[in-house]
Amino acid sequence: MKIDESLPLEYSTEENRLKILGFWIFLGAEIALFSTLFAVYFTLHNGHGDGPSAEELFKITPVMIETVLLLTSSFTIGLGIHAMRLGLKKAMMTFFVITLVLGLGFLGTEIYEFVEYIHEGATIQTSAFTSSLMTLLGTHGAHVTFGFFWGVAILIQVAKRGLTPETANKSFIFSLYWHFLDVVWIFIFSFVYLKGMM
Amino acid sequence: MMKQLFPKQHVMGFVFSMVLSIVALAVLAFDMSYKMGMAILLVTAIAQALVQLLLFMHIGESEDKNTLYTNIIYALFVGVVTILGTLFTMIWGYMY
Repeated sequence: MKIDESLPLEYSTEENRLKILGFWIFLGAEIALFSTLFAVYFTLHNGHGDGPSAEELFKITPVMIETVLLLTSSFTIGLGIHAMRLGLKKAMMTFFVITLVLGLGFLGTEIYEFVEYIHEGATIQTSAFTSSLMTLLGTHGAHVTFGFFWGVAILIQVAKRGLTPETANKSFIFSLYWHFLDVVWIFIFSFVYLKGMM
Repeated sequence: MMKQLFPKQHVMGFVFSMVLSIVALAVLAFDMSYKMGMAILLVTAIAQALVQLLLFMHIGESEDKNTLYTNIIYALFVGVVTILGTLFTMIWGYMY
């Protein structure tokens, strides 16, 4: 394994560089996945039948809380990677923990929101609108949930092995995933919630 | 130490993304046409995505950057065609 000292740890071997490239290609596929779900939602969002419409269902407060939590977590994981590049393991781990806690806060708010929807008589089976909405939100939420456990696994590895080319590479790739989920959320925030309440 | 851990660029990027979210709220706060609202949302969402991509995800920092740009632009092309193509065949096509 040839290590190039001039590069940040996560890029320092050929294998590491290719793993980062590979992950970007995966994110390209994720863009296609979420595009299909957005396409379904945009096609069906007026079909609410007897169930509540987007305007009746959406509330701005939980949506704003979710947005602030996820935007902030995207910032803190960016700081985590920055600290990692300075070789500051403790600071890096602290930022990652903050990121994951904010992620949990996001999930908690989203689950609360879903329970509210169900109480208002909007389940995934109610209408074409709620089906497509909950499939889109649920797919994003499932990604965040998966990301939470992934992040915990990475923190354990960094705690045990320290910052090596391997763990740094894993942490960097995880940060790409987390930022990507934030980007998807921005589009949900804008074109599902704000557009729905406009 | 604080200055080292909180680089100015990241802090600015974060503040900028928060400001963009608040600007997007204007579509609720003010009475405006559907077209105007959509234009504001498109601009703020794309700007936010660019902040993440360029600043936080460091897309342009490695020697693979041209491959990454090509890959992401291609993915976005597929995404936009999927969404607009669906709307064209399922909704706009029936409006005439």
